[in-house]
Amino acid sequence: MGVFADTRSYVAETWQAWNRFWFAPKDPATLSLIRLLAGSLLFYTHLVWSLDLQAFVGQEGWLPVEYLRQTVHAAPGTSDPQWSLWSVFFWIEPVWLLWCVHLFALLVFFCLMVGLFSRTAATLGFLLAVSYAHRVSPGAFFGLDKINCMLAMYLLLGPCGARYSLDSVRRVRRGDTSPVRPSAFANLSIRLIQVHLCIIYLFSGLAKLGGENWQAGTAVWWALANQEYQSIDMTWIASWTTVGPVLIALATHATVFWELFYCCLIWNRFTRPLTLWMAMAVHGGIALFMGMVTFGLAMIYANLAFLKPPTVRRWVDPVAGRVASLLGAAR
Amino acid sequence: MAKKKQDASREPEQPTKPVKKKAAKPRAAGDLPWHPVWRWLASGAILVHLLAVVSAPWGLSTGPALPPGFDALQPPQPLPPMDSPVWQRPIVVQNLHWFFHDYLNLLYLNHGYEFFAPDPAGTHVIDYQVTRAAGEPVTGRLPSHDQHWPRLLYHRHMMLSEQSTMPQLAQKSPQHYADHLATIHNGISRLELKFHNLLPPRRVADDTPLDAPSTFQLIGTIEGRPCPTPSDEPAPITGAQP
Repeated sequence: MGVFADTRSYVAETWQAWNRFWFAPKDPATLSLIRLLAGSLLFYTHLVWSLDLQAFVGQEGWLPVEYLRQTVHAAPGTSDPQWSLWSVFFWIEPVWLLWCVHLFALLVFFCLMVGLFSRTAATLGFLLAVSYAHRVSPGAFFGLDKINCMLAMYLLLGPCGARYSLDSVRRVRRGDTSPVRPSAFANLSIRLIQVHLCIIYLFSGLAKLGGENWQAGTAVWWALANQEYQSIDMTWIASWTTVGPVLIALATHATVFWELFYCCLIWNRFTRPLTLWMAMAVHGGIALFMGMVTFGLAMIYANLAFLKPPTVRRWVDPVAGRVASLLGAAR
Repeated sequence: MAKKKQDASREPEQPTKPVKKKAAKPRAAGDLPWHPVWRWLASGAILVHLLAVVSAPWGLSTGPALPPGFDALQPPQPLPPMDSPVWQRPIVVQNLHWFFHDYLNLLYLNHGYEFFAPDPAGTHVIDYQVTRAAGEPVTGRLPSHDQHWPRLLYHRHMMLSEQSTMPQLAQKSPQHYADHLATIHNGISRLELKFHNLLPPRRVADDTPLDAPSTFQLIGTIEGRPCPTPSDEPAPITGAQP
C-alpha cells in the first residue's frame, strides 16, 4: 500500500513540476529581448543576400534550383524531390518577382526586429527564413541558418512583442497603460529554446568525442590555424613553445566538457552563471577570432533564454524606457 | 510538539469573529492558466517535438557498426559492402529519424549540430580564371577577402567551396560553379579545386606562412561554358516543317 501511495505521490509531484516548468505564466521580457536581437540578426543575415541575390537564391546561379531538386533533394531511389524540402524560391522564376519577395522578406524581418505586428512578423519571418535556408542547403548554409530558423520558430509561439517593441509603444499611445501580463506561451517558447539548446550542445559535444584532435587537446589549434576562417591571427601562440600547447589543450578540453555537460550545469542556479559565461567566451571567441560574428551572436542570443525576466528587465528596461519616451509613449 | 504548543499559545490572540479561511489551492492548478486537457495535449506535442529534435543529430551521427572483433581477423578483411548483413544497423535510431524525416525537413531541423566535429580540418578553396573573347581575363578565388565583403558574404562563398565536395552534391557542384562564372563573365572558365592543409605549431613557429604554396593541394580542374539564355536559343523559322 505504501509503495502505491509513494508512487502516486511521485507521479503527481512530477506532473505538477512538469506543468510548472512548461506552462507557468512568465513575464515575456526574456522572449521580447530575444525577439529584438534575433530579429536584428535575421534582418542583417537576409540583407547580405541582397549583395548577390540572384547567384545564391535565384533559379540559376551557383547551384541551379533544378539541379538541387533533381539530385540533392530527391527522395531515396527516385528522381522526385522530397515534398518536405520546400522553399518559395523553388517556384519563383522572374527576377523582378525574386526581388519583390526579397524586399518583402526584409520588411518582415525589420518588423520582427522593431516589434511591429510582432506575432505575424514572427510567423512570416520563420517561413521566409526556412525558405532561404532550404534554397542554399546544401551549398552556402552554415550554423547561422540553423540557429536563425530555430529562434524564429520558437518566437512565433509566444507574445514576443509584449515588451521592447513598437507594438508596446502603440499600446501605450492608445492609452492602454496596464502592466504586461505574464504569459504561459512566453514560458513555453523560452523553455523550448532552452531545451533545444541543450540538445544542440549535447550532440555537438558527443560528435567531438569522436575526434582524435579533440581528445588529444589540439583541436583548438587546428581551428585557429585555419586561414580561411580566421579574422584575427592567433597563431603567434605557437611561439610560446612551453605554455602554448598547454593553453590550447586546456581550451580544447574545456570546450568539450562544457558542451557535454551544458545540459546539466545550466539548470542549477549556482553553475548557471559559469555555464553562461563560458558560452560567452566560446562563442565570443568564435566571433572574434574565427570570423563568424553572426553565428557567434546567434548562439549568444539563444543562450540569453536562460536569463530570468527580472534580470532582463533590470538591464533593458531603463534603455527601453528612454526609447519609449522619445517615441512619446512614456508610462 | 513544540509547534502544537506555539499554536496553543496563539489561540487566545485570535479574533473571536470567525475568519473565512481561503481554501488552499494546489500549486499546479492555481498558477496554471490552461485546462488540464489542453496541458495534456500540449505536453504530448512537446514530447513529440523534442523527440524529433533529438532524432536528427542522433540519426545523422549514428551509422551501421561492424561486429566486435571484425578488425582483429587475420588476415585483415576489407570492409564489407554497405548492403552486407554483417553490418549491424542502429534500428531504433534509424527508424526514429526516418519517422520524423519530413517533420524535420519542414521546420529546417534536420541537422547534426557537429560544429567543428569530429575534427577541425583544412578548407577547400577554388581558384578560377575566366577567359573572355574580348578583354582582360578575370581571375579570383572562392572565398576571397578582397572580393567578398562583408564577412558574412565571404563566409557564404567559403561554404560554396567547402560544401562542393559533399557527397549529397554528387561532386557536380564545381561544374555548376564553373558554368555560373562563365555565364556572368561571358567567357570560358577554368576552375582549380584545391585543399588548403593546416600547419602544425612547429612549422608556424619556424615562420612558415599559413598560405605557403606547399599547403595547397590540387584536387582537380574543371572547365565551364556560359549557359544558354532564352535569347541565345535559335528562333524558330516561321513555316518550317519539323
